[in-house]
Amino acid sequence: MRAMRASPAPGFGGASIELPLAISEQRTMTRGVPLQLLGISKSFGSVQALRPMTQTIEGGEMLALLGPSGCGKTTTLRIIAGFETPDHGSVVIGTRDVTELPPNKRGLGMVFQSYSLFPHMTVGENVAFGLKMQGASATERTTRVREMLALVRLTEHEDRQIHQLSGGQQQRIALARALVTNPSTLLLDEPLGALDKNLRERMQFELREIQHRLGITSILVTHDQEEALTMSNRVAVMSDGQVIQVGRPTDIYERPRNRFVAEFLGTANIVAGTVTAQATEQCWHVAFAGEPGASALVQSDVPLAPGGAILLAVRPERIEIGPVVAGTMQALVQDVVFRGSYFAYELRVPGQDAPFFAYSQSRKEIPADGRVGLGWQPDNAIILEDAP
Amino acid sequence: MTALEPALPVRRRRRVRYGVIALALYVLLFLGFIAAPIVSVVAVSFSTASFIAFPIPGFTLRWYWRIVEYKPFVDALIVSGEVAVLSTMFGTLLGVPAALALARSRRTAAAIVSNFLLAPVTVPAIVLGLALLYFLSSLSLGISFTALLIAHTVAGIPYIVRTVLSVYRAIPPDLEEAAAILGASRWQTLIHTTLPLVRSGVFAGGLFAILTSLDNLPLSFFFGSANTNTLPVVMLSYMENQFDPSIAAISTVQMLIAIVVLLIADRVYGIEKLTS
Amino acid sequence: MTAGIPLANPDAKARRSRPYRLAGPSWVIPVLLFLGFFFVIPLGANILRSLQAGQTATNGPLFYYIKLLTDAYYGGVILETLKVAAISTVLCLIVGYPVAYFMVRFAGRWNAIIVFLLIAPLLTSIIMRTFGWRVLLARRGLLTTLLADWGVIPRPINLADEPFAVYLGLVHVLAPFMILSITAVLQKVDVRLEESARVLGASALGTFFRITLPLSLDGIATGCILVFVVTCGSFLTMLLLGGGKVTTLSLLIYQQFNVTQDVGFAAAMGNMLLFIGLICLTLQARFLRRSGGKS
Repeated sequence: MRAMRASPAPGFGGASIELPLAISEQRTMTRGVPLQLLGISKSFGSVQALRPMTQTIEGGEMLALLGPSGCGKTTTLRIIAGFETPDHGSVVIGTRDVTELPPNKRGLGMVFQSYSLFPHMTVGENVAFGLKMQGASATERTTRVREMLALVRLTEHEDRQIHQLSGGQQQRIALARALVTNPSTLLLDEPLGALDKNLRERMQFELREIQHRLGITSILVTHDQEEALTMSNRVAVMSDGQVIQVGRPTDIYERPRNRFVAEFLGTANIVAGTVTAQATEQCWHVAFAGEPGASALVQSDVPLAPGGAILLAVRPERIEIGPVVAGTMQALVQDVVFRGSYFAYELRVPGQDAPFFAYSQSRKEIPADGRVGLGWQPDNAIILEDAP
Repeated sequence: MTALEPALPVRRRRRVRYGVIALALYVLLFLGFIAAPIVSVVAVSFSTASFIAFPIPGFTLRWYWRIVEYKPFVDALIVSGEVAVLSTMFGTLLGVPAALALARSRRTAAAIVSNFLLAPVTVPAIVLGLALLYFLSSLSLGISFTALLIAHTVAGIPYIVRTVLSVYRAIPPDLEEAAAILGASRWQTLIHTTLPLVRSGVFAGGLFAILTSLDNLPLSFFFGSANTNTLPVVMLSYMENQFDPSIAAISTVQMLIAIVVLLIADRVYGIEKLTS
Repeated sequence: MTAGIPLANPDAKARRSRPYRLAGPSWVIPVLLFLGFFFVIPLGANILRSLQAGQTATNGPLFYYIKLLTDAYYGGVILETLKVAAISTVLCLIVGYPVAYFMVRFAGRWNAIIVFLLIAPLLTSIIMRTFGWRVLLARRGLLTTLLADWGVIPRPINLADEPFAVYLGLVHVLAPFMILSITAVLQKVDVRLEESARVLGASALGTFFRITLPLSLDGIATGCILVFVVTCGSFLTMLLLGGGKVTTLSLLIYQQFNVTQDVGFAAAMGNMLLFIGLICLTLQARFLRRSGGKS
């Protein structure tokens, strides 16, 4: 019924994107294994690094743990890996509770921030290491190593020394090494941090493609929001030891829960206002402080109480710059920066302390010191959960 | 003069030049000062005079023959070598695991223990020797090869611990974590990852321990007997009783042996890696 | 989604936290036992012995120590020990600092070679090096012959049995250690600090004394303590080059052991030496901790 390949160990040709169904089926043993974190928490002395966290990562999904340093993302990863034991809670891979298991018995793969390639071994020996620890025979090792090197397109480097490779190459070798044992889960600890921008962008796509192709459940830890948004299926934004919001990249970006998330992912203009009156079934008028008074329409699924204070976030690319209109928000252009595909404006809004940022794709540049009116579509104003 | 050009901006070279040249000459003189006694001894070892006399009257190899004739010299050389190598081996077996355990620990107990392991080097060897002699005698190990071995092991442990501590601290813990994630048990990680990486520290420390043991007179002095005399002890008593250039010859031979060992170490391992 | 997957331990069962580490604390036990038995106990027994031997019908346990400190001869030996150590330390510092400075600032790629030349003498026995000074300084030695030929001294005399020779021997052996201690710290002193001082008008010497020297104090301290302690413990140099004119505590112990078999006394002298060394080490620890440096 399904075409089976004759060779037991199919090679991953670098150019092929589509795998025959049979091959991917052969690997279903370790593909698509869900990972569950059940109430794990961790304190170091008096510092609570991770508050009780429960998450389920679906089989084949890549979840990004995104947050500033100290938010607990690395602690979470280390608990999953087994380098730290959680104070409470458990880690379940598939159907196995691995919480009490040491790191070498969990069947995981990990790419470290600084790659951690063994400097005293060649590329081939590095990649083969996991298999050697499992007791695989020399022929088995050679075959699998070659497969993996083909996957990351570094076949000809098998006998090189680690220090002879560039940063990007080392990163790919680290990935090959992590995948060679067919792990159930792949852990990535800020894997692209040491690469320069162009390489990083390329690797983001490559990593994503490989992860997708192999269908391996993955956790990515990063402080780079672009990386998280590009590579993962879902993003968990963390701060101070807890998950603030989990969701698909688009959801998190368009609908951040609070100010922290809004400002961590991209730029956000935060503005406090007061709900004045209901305009339509789903829109309310919101008034803003400042002379002259300004008002705008905000859409909300949940009814807003008139007279209540409200905190909004608007993305710069959603702000519409137009002529000054009485009764709406006005601003003074402070600075203009041409960024190739758009103009970035820094604006001074009366009544607001922080400057506003707006991106305009209009070809006509508005000079500094010009007066403009700002507006947005009602559904582009994000209502934040924070107390204003 | 290119070799002496200072690593300063070009602008300043002219003004400072004479000071730098003077300093360089001083350093050359100093290095000559360091080399002088050693070179003189080698020179004297070939002298025909049986006491120290300059200018050297003539050249002969007879003092080198004397080494072979005078049995205590060769015996002592062998004993010295054995003690040095064996004590360093024991020191390594004892010290390396401890250094690995202590290097990354943040507990204050770890710092205290580390300092303790480095302590034997700060005790004057003559005091240690005396103390050990009487203690081991009370265990009826008194004057024996075993006692000598124990003493030299105690003296050698600090060197090994010190270098392994510093080398291991410089190795990122990620590497061992990577090995663990890849399936290596603790033992496998030790064999395949940790030990190869600290090899240079073990080697450097071991080399230092061997050299110090070979030259350690105050310690060995207390355990001297016909078959447990080390070379320094024999040389000293020879010097105190008969004073002829045999001492120069055997010193030169000892130096050559040390150089050969170093060259072999370089061949096998590479000296640059030792000094990292 | 969770059908069939057991909810393992979602309750508040606290675990003992054990980060993953390769070498457990038990790895330290063998060496601790070994040193405890063959280092601590012998030294402790040594102290006990000196106290017990001192305790006779008429004398208290501190008899030997009192004798060491109050007797004119022995007190003099202790002072001599301290004096020799202090002088050799100062000499090593004066002789060695310029070399260290040159190595760090000007030597460039020659630095490695100089380091090698400084360490190379360790390949030779200290007896060889001390003997070498005898060779150079004896009546018909190389140096004395040259000096007599050049008319510096009227006729060749034996310089090798003088305190001068002892200091020469000590500096020869120990200056490299001083130099390497200083270079380790001097390397971290930014040359731009010196340059800014010059730009601000300081003379070369002034810069040295106001900027470089204070910043390298850590290295100087480490080197000085090292040289001081090692000198206190050395006796070969004094034995072979001193001609009986330089008697330090170590040498006395050696002679005591060879001549008399007064174990208690020798033990007490040894402990005195140990005590001096301990004081130096505490001073070093205090100094470095205060200046925030690492030894």
